[in-house]
Amino acid sequence: MRILLSLIETLSVFVVLFYFYTRSRFFRPQKSEWLGRRGKLSLFVFCSALTMVGNYLGIWLEGGVVANTRAVGSMIAGIAGGPFLGVAVGVTASIHRLSFGGFTAVSGSMGTIFDGLLGGLVHLRRRNRPESLFDWRVAFAVTAFGEICHMGFVLLVSRPFSASVEAVKIIGPPMILTNSIGAALFMLVLRERERVVDQVAASSSAKALKVAQRTLRLLGNGLGNVALELAAIVRAETGVGAVAITDSETILAFDGLGADHHVPGNAIASSLTRQSIGGREVVFADGVHDHYHCSIVPDCPLDSVLIVPLVVDNAVVGTVQLFEPETRRFRNLNKSLGEGIAALLSSQLLMARYQEQKNLLTVSELKLLHAQVNPHFLFNALNTINAIIRSDPERARELLVHLSHFFRKNLKRSGELSTLAEELEHVGAYLEIEKARFQDRLTVETEVDPSLLGIRMPTFTLQPLIENALKHGLSTKLSHGTARIRARREDQQAVIEIEDDAGAYVERRGSGLGMRIVDKRLKAVLGESCGVDVTCVPDELTRVTVRMPAEGVLQ
Amino acid sequence: MIRALIVDDEVHAREELAALLSETGAVTVVGSAPDAIAGMRAIRQLRPEIVFLDVQMPAVNGFEMLSMMDDVDLPDVVFVTAHDEFAVRAFEEGALDYLLKPISRERLAKTLERAGRGTPPEARPAIAKAPITRIPCAERKAIKLVRVGDVESVRSTLAGVYLVCGSAEYATDLTLQTLEARAGLLRCHKQHLVNPDAIDQISLADNSAAAIRTRSGQTVPVSRRYLGQIRERLGL
Repeated sequence: MRILLSLIETLSVFVVLFYFYTRSRFFRPQKSEWLGRRGKLSLFVFCSALTMVGNYLGIWLEGGVVANTRAVGSMIAGIAGGPFLGVAVGVTASIHRLSFGGFTAVSGSMGTIFDGLLGGLVHLRRRNRPESLFDWRVAFAVTAFGEICHMGFVLLVSRPFSASVEAVKIIGPPMILTNSIGAALFMLVLRERERVVDQVAASSSAKALKVAQRTLRLLGNGLGNVALELAAIVRAETGVGAVAITDSETILAFDGLGADHHVPGNAIASSLTRQSIGGREVVFADGVHDHYHCSIVPDCPLDSVLIVPLVVDNAVVGTVQLFEPETRRFRNLNKSLGEGIAALLSSQLLMARYQEQKNLLTVSELKLLHAQVNPHFLFNALNTINAIIRSDPERARELLVHLSHFFRKNLKRSGELSTLAEELEHVGAYLEIEKARFQDRLTVETEVDPSLLGIRMPTFTLQPLIENALKHGLSTKLSHGTARIRARREDQQAVIEIEDDAGAYVERRGSGLGMRIVDKRLKAVLGESCGVDVTCVPDELTRVTVRMPAEGVLQ
Repeated sequence: MIRALIVDDEVHAREELAALLSETGAVTVVGSAPDAIAGMRAIRQLRPEIVFLDVQMPAVNGFEMLSMMDDVDLPDVVFVTAHDEFAVRAFEEGALDYLLKPISRERLAKTLERAGRGTPPEARPAIAKAPITRIPCAERKAIKLVRVGDVESVRSTLAGVYLVCGSAEYATDLTLQTLEARAGLLRCHKQHLVNPDAIDQISLADNSAAAIRTRSGQTVPVSRRYLGQIRERLGL
């Protein structure tokens, strides 16, 4: 009975030690149960130490017999770390035990190594079912079995046999019982730890998800419009003292302690924020080693801060800042949560920007498509041809061919490329119809360097420009008008000019869309040095100039 | 026979419509005009009963043309255009009908039927016409559009109506009545209008009449009859 009680006493110390060990940073399973290399090493050191302490705290009996709780160490090492680790701990403990001497030294060592091996086998059998690996009942049963075998070894190996029988009678029941209870308790401690880790992980991911969910619908509107609401959400979810959101120059929103002097709209004053924006890095002043010093009010309660830059397309567009007052520690959880939220916001902003660009593109493509099927042009053309059929059927037939040619070209997708020759053909078909409409009121002059005819450019580069010249320029003239199309080389560039002698450009409002789209597409395909310019001499001429590399778009 | 005038800037469109109208046997095309200015003259000279008016024309469009004419001069108006986006506005302008190009014979017949029924002028909807911002003037070879802001005064003589813009004068086909009603000019004399923004000084004469000096130093007479209105308008 005395032996049992002292062993349980020892065991209690072990369980407490194990409890702290499993909560230390040395014991950190990679997933919920698999230990990494460092974890295994630390487990080896811990369990070996445990077995050795078990040797020391064991109850010494006559003839060098020791009643001990060594088995718990190797068993746990085996179950948690696998057979190799179990055996390694067993061997270490055995060498230590052998150095003590006594007639049960060899058999006891064999028992400890055997326990490690047994634990390892459990690990192998159950590793695919992690939830049942740390089952206290299994640990209890296996350890009990191991210790019974241990007693068997004593009877088999240790001599004289009568002494062995005596020893087993005394140490057998208490050792079997305490070691089994010990292993079971250890398992419960492990289980408990896992549950706590899970809870923390669950609560922080729940928070992150909640923030994501609440911010997602906001950010389509851009950072500036929703910063206030965002700051409030982040503060509510993290529970920190204050939350600020800035763009790259000013405070957009501030929620929490110190809101009286951290006013949205003010320029960024904190050097830490500038450091974060300038270096595109996370800045953390933990309030212990580094402090946040408010540059506005000396007795500002805020003392620690996490500043995370919002990076969109490799540029810092702002920061998210989490503050804690002097009276509160900045929690690690909030640090990782803050960084996570900033990453989330960054990607949402990127998404919003992408969406915006996509919408813009869609709008301009739609406008372009609309322009391609200009209903005025179509109906006027049909009306003209309809009228000409009466007087000159042959001419009407020609015009119909031009019209179908024009519309066939229009159906080309706007993303494709065309040669200058094809563009001129397209424009030519259009102008044939317009000349028929306006008769003697319209003259078209073309002057093109033939060596440029093969260069490629985005389809529909010239047509919208010509159409503008007609629609907004020449058709407003009461008298005769002339359109001129020129293409020539100039300093490595191909220069295409579309000119009308109405000089009405300044009077146009909101009609520059076609031109802007042409300009945007040229720049997108050929770079910023290309594009469309307009010069206008009122009542004299409007000249639209298209510039691109003399080789055009290379294929 | 209905006497019709066609105003359209496209020669083929004019020819086609003239041909369609002649085919009906109910219409005599008395003339055609290639723009709104020529159109206004033709309406005054030829006195058609119906005018087929294109909306989109150079310099002065069909709607503007209507607002430049006195109601008494206006015949029935049928707008003719290639696109239907102006339809609502056309009826707001009190148009008799609205035809889409290319015009079908059947549709044209309906229009003429409507015209034949005859609408007494007083039954036409009240026309809220747009203000005039530019006044077409005939120069020797071209048409000049004078901005109302450039006009200091307008005088009417036996030879016609003249816009006085500093040292320059331009003859216009628009009447004093139209300019007074829609160009924001003030009547100061039976034969004179003045632009209130161009008044520099008003000097009262003994016979309770007055004279206005404009910003370029021109003098415009003010008759006794209109002096009160001028004072009131200027807040004197």
